[in-house]
Amino acid sequence: MTQTAETPMVELKGVKKRFGNLEVLKGIDLKVDRGKIISIIGPSGSGKSTLLRSVNNLEVIDEGTIMLDGVQVNRPDLKGLAFERHINHIRQNMGMVFQHFNLFPHLSTLENVTLAPRKLKGVDARSARELGMELLHRVGLADKASAYPSSLSGGQKQRVAIARALAMRPKVMLFDEATSALDPELVEEVNQVMKSLAEEHMTMLIVTHEMAFARDVSDWAMFMDGGVVVEENTPERLFTNPDQERTCHFLRKHLASQA
Amino acid sequence: MEFDFSPVITYFPTLIKGIGATLLIGLVVAIMSIIGGQIVAVISLYTRKVVNWPLRFFIWLFMTTPLLLQLYFLYFGLGQWILIPAIVVGVLGLGFHYMAYNADIFIATIKSVSSGQYEASRSLGFGHYATIFYIIIPQAFYRAIPQLGNNMIIMVKDISVLSAIGIAELVYLSQYAISVTFRPFEFYITIAVVYYLINVLMEAGQSWVERRAAIRK
Repeated sequence: MTQTAETPMVELKGVKKRFGNLEVLKGIDLKVDRGKIISIIGPSGSGKSTLLRSVNNLEVIDEGTIMLDGVQVNRPDLKGLAFERHINHIRQNMGMVFQHFNLFPHLSTLENVTLAPRKLKGVDARSARELGMELLHRVGLADKASAYPSSLSGGQKQRVAIARALAMRPKVMLFDEATSALDPELVEEVNQVMKSLAEEHMTMLIVTHEMAFARDVSDWAMFMDGGVVVEENTPERLFTNPDQERTCHFLRKHLASQA
Repeated sequence: MEFDFSPVITYFPTLIKGIGATLLIGLVVAIMSIIGGQIVAVISLYTRKVVNWPLRFFIWLFMTTPLLLQLYFLYFGLGQWILIPAIVVGVLGLGFHYMAYNADIFIATIKSVSSGQYEASRSLGFGHYATIFYIIIPQAFYRAIPQLGNNMIIMVKDISVLSAIGIAELVYLSQYAISVTFRPFEFYITIAVVYYLINVLMEAGQSWVERRAAIRK
């Protein structure tokens, strides 16, 4: 497949996902152009996390297609080892950041960042160290290089997790409620790192509860509920003057709970 | 009552030999049962039934029968057809016995590593087996250290059971010394102290390792 400047970085078409009898994604279309940032908001159980996890196949979709930079991610035609090889390669181009950080507790901060480049890309120890230190410096944690995750705060852990994902030089970053598990005073330091990525035109798909942040950094915002995209628009429009009653209701409820 | 420890001193070189044998056997069995236990646990968790069922049976067999019976079976039972040297039977028997116990621990600690760890590794592009190797097993190992340490402390004391098949470890050699000197009380007291000291040293080692491992959990 040819990749032109117009090829979207991520493109979902008619994505459906069922858990047993429950249909959690009822046909989702989504397009993220390169260098753009899309935020997905919605109540819990709306399917937004499942959608994000589907993008790198942590959830296997039942119908539809997912494309990354012109390459199909889900490949129902590939089985067993062939699919394993395909998806491992695809995932190296996508950075994923989890709500609960999932840092590797048995490795130091620096080793967390350098493990994947060393083992998957065969980067030698010295270059991996340089890369790791550069990324830790970026997230403001160069002084914690030899510390273990158990000694870090939640905000620090998440910043290391972002550095770890960046170490594979991904084409797109996926954020699954990256700040939801953090104490309120630690949210800002993670948001700052995400903002700096936005300024460097990293393509990002963000599932979040941080409305103000989403409005701030996004190029496009989507509101999901009950497994469908209820409404999507520019963040200015979606957050201040939504078209749909459900969006309005959600935002009002959300603002009330945050006040 | 009169105590006479002079025979103990006379036969101290013999006892030293016994201590050396016990520690050497302990070291070999520890290495074998920890590495073997890890392998048994991984295979029995991550392979198909045809492969893992016999392994689970092996664990079950060694955990539900007495060590002494296992040694008798391997030495005298199989000895009807094939004579394996006692030291080989002793090390393998004790090794398999504790391999089963250690495998049981590793199975539990492998299961206790959260699915988030697996997902994080897969999301970076690591495959299923690479994730098990680089992420799951090391974490399971750190978590297993306290219980592994306890098992190994019990194991060192169980080495004395090997005297039943004629292996010249500490208890066996002291039996010999007693049969010559007729001072059982003094020898048993001495050996008890020796075991106590080995225990204290092992516990100190264990807590040192545990402290170092704690930051990696």
